[in-house]
Amino acid sequence: MIESLEPVLDNLPFLWAGIETTLVVSALSVACSLVLGFAAGLGRCFGPAWLRLPLVFYIDSMRAIPVLVVIVWTFFAFPILFGLTMTPIVAAVGAISVHVAASIAEIVRAGVESIRQGQSWAGLALGMSHAQLLRKVILPQAVTRMLPSFGSAIIVTIKDSAIASVIAVPDVIRHAESVVAQTYRPFEVYSFAMLVFFAILFPVARVVDRLYLRIGHRGRS
Amino acid sequence: MNATTDKAIRADRAAVPRLEFVEVRKAFGDLVVLDGVTIRVDPGEVVCVIGPSGSGKSTLLKCANALEPIQGGRIVFDGQPLPADAEGIRRVRRRMGMVFQSFELFPHMTALANVEAGPRTVLGMDAASARARAEALLDKVGLADKAAQYPSALSGGQQQRVAIARALAMEPEVMLFDEPTSALDPETIGEVLGVMKRLAEEGMTMVVVTHEMTFARRVADRVVVLDRGRVLEEGPPRQIFEEAREPRTREFLSHLEWTG
Amino acid sequence: MTLDWSVVWEHRWALAAGAAMTIQLTVLTMLLAVPGGILLAAMRLSPLRLLRWPATAFVEFFRCTPLVLQVYWAFYVLPSEFDVRLSGFATGLLALTLNVSAFNSETFRAGISSIRRGQSDAALAMGMSSFQAFRIVVLPQAVKRVLPVLATTWVALFKDTSLVSVIAVSDLAYTAMQLRSRTFRILEMLTAMALIYWAMGYPQAKITDWIHRRMAGRE
Repeated sequence: MIESLEPVLDNLPFLWAGIETTLVVSALSVACSLVLGFAAGLGRCFGPAWLRLPLVFYIDSMRAIPVLVVIVWTFFAFPILFGLTMTPIVAAVGAISVHVAASIAEIVRAGVESIRQGQSWAGLALGMSHAQLLRKVILPQAVTRMLPSFGSAIIVTIKDSAIASVIAVPDVIRHAESVVAQTYRPFEVYSFAMLVFFAILFPVARVVDRLYLRIGHRGRS
Repeated sequence: MNATTDKAIRADRAAVPRLEFVEVRKAFGDLVVLDGVTIRVDPGEVVCVIGPSGSGKSTLLKCANALEPIQGGRIVFDGQPLPADAEGIRRVRRRMGMVFQSFELFPHMTALANVEAGPRTVLGMDAASARARAEALLDKVGLADKAAQYPSALSGGQQQRVAIARALAMEPEVMLFDEPTSALDPETIGEVLGVMKRLAEEGMTMVVVTHEMTFARRVADRVVVLDRGRVLEEGPPRQIFEEAREPRTREFLSHLEWTG
Repeated sequence: MTLDWSVVWEHRWALAAGAAMTIQLTVLTMLLAVPGGILLAAMRLSPLRLLRWPATAFVEFFRCTPLVLQVYWAFYVLPSEFDVRLSGFATGLLALTLNVSAFNSETFRAGISSIRRGQSDAALAMGMSSFQAFRIVVLPQAVKRVLPVLATTWVALFKDTSLVSVIAVSDLAYTAMQLRSRTFRILEMLTAMALIYWAMGYPQAKITDWIHRRMAGRE
């Protein structure tokens, strides 16, 4: 089956450039989605009604729409609507971040709500303001609980970055497609791409599994 | 020296009650939990609130520091009604200390950090002063050696004593105890009641919701019996426990004695 | 910028066909992936290494690589290397099924393992056979834990079917994107595509919430 590794080895620099793009898109998407999602989650929990309702709508809607659709819409339709252009990478990172941020927001909400009401009473009884209560009592406990789910969301984000190839982001899949078109060796080249993703995601998945085990052993407050 | 008569004299001299519930009404939706409760607590007094479950005892305390809103009547603290604004409420809460049935220590902080939490976060105290105050209070409740431990490593009684120290760290004018020993093993109840008794002897104004009748008998200046959201009877412990006027009071007490 | 939404209405039947294909793929995949997941879970829980290791490798592989790449791989490699020629639909279905089976196996494995040992001990102590203990005591409780996760997986699957569009399978995404190219009404078509997915997916998400609530309450 594998006649030789030539198709991969000969084109390694080109494929490597694709891997770099994948890593950049993944990293940027993870960072942006965590920041956006955390803000959205806190806004959804504690914000005024005019903020909460649109946030709930946004969060629920992202659960219904595929990330591919969001990516394609962001790259092709958004510029028409607002009269600006964007590079494929910007569109991809923006779309994936907005999509994943909705799940992050839900994780934040679940984490915050899992803290017993008694903890809030204890903090408020001492005279803490709501902001102090959140910062000193609620979030430190909640974030620990959220970590495994954040880990799963990060895995999803990295996989979503692969879909960016659909809007011609020059990632590892796009570059693999080019190499296959020239070498006619899809098996070696696509398998290589698979292995690249596996090499990135497998360690992350193991860390997440470990987190789930450790957090599961923690008592409730 | 008779601690009880000493406090009784002090109470008589008080012009302004420390805490007052005036015709307080509280409902959760359709369920009326407090139906016109009037209780007066003078400075230095220890008032124990007893009564059957469902009588509204716990809710009463949470109304005192506005953790629960009331629908009728008013709460008066140090001659002033409870403020309506958030900042005002926070200032009042700093002057009241609350101890919960479930301790509610912050599990991600050591015992010392728990006691420091109030002074550092709320009072903006510097680290050194807060630490000194916390260490002194932990020593006072007999847990100086547990300062670096996390709540999960402490027994129930120890956790509750830390919780008392945490509340005292704010130097409150009144301490509210919400069934402080109900969640404790019998062996550890004594150590917590001991701390509370010393507090009372030092002259702290205390409102204690409790099932511990022996404590109420020995330490309370006044006992209030709450039943179905109303004050059934109140008076010095001797009156309530030995010469109760209301039949329902006697019924409640005899039931307790029998099961206790 | 002038918008012409009539194009969407003009091509409503094509879009409906695409939506039907999306639903078809979702239903078929889940029908295949539930038994697939049970099989894999059983293999992973088996005492035999011969069964456990391949199943674990399979599951890890499908969880740690992107679905879109799995679709590409199946589409290009099966004909060229293994001389297996499947339609685009079948290829997409295959990739989706294998992928979701892997996730389901984790769901089933966790659900079964999470039932406390004491439960089956208690059942056996009453004199039940292993099979009875499983059927009467463990399985109903496992179902309660598994059902909400399956519902969430279903909604994720519904969204993932859009990836078959990359191999020109005429689901909603592909159909809408083709129409966009043909009619040049980019904003209208793409927005319509998003709205139709939203209209189908939103109720599914809400039903999933309901299932989570119902199952959690009974614990």
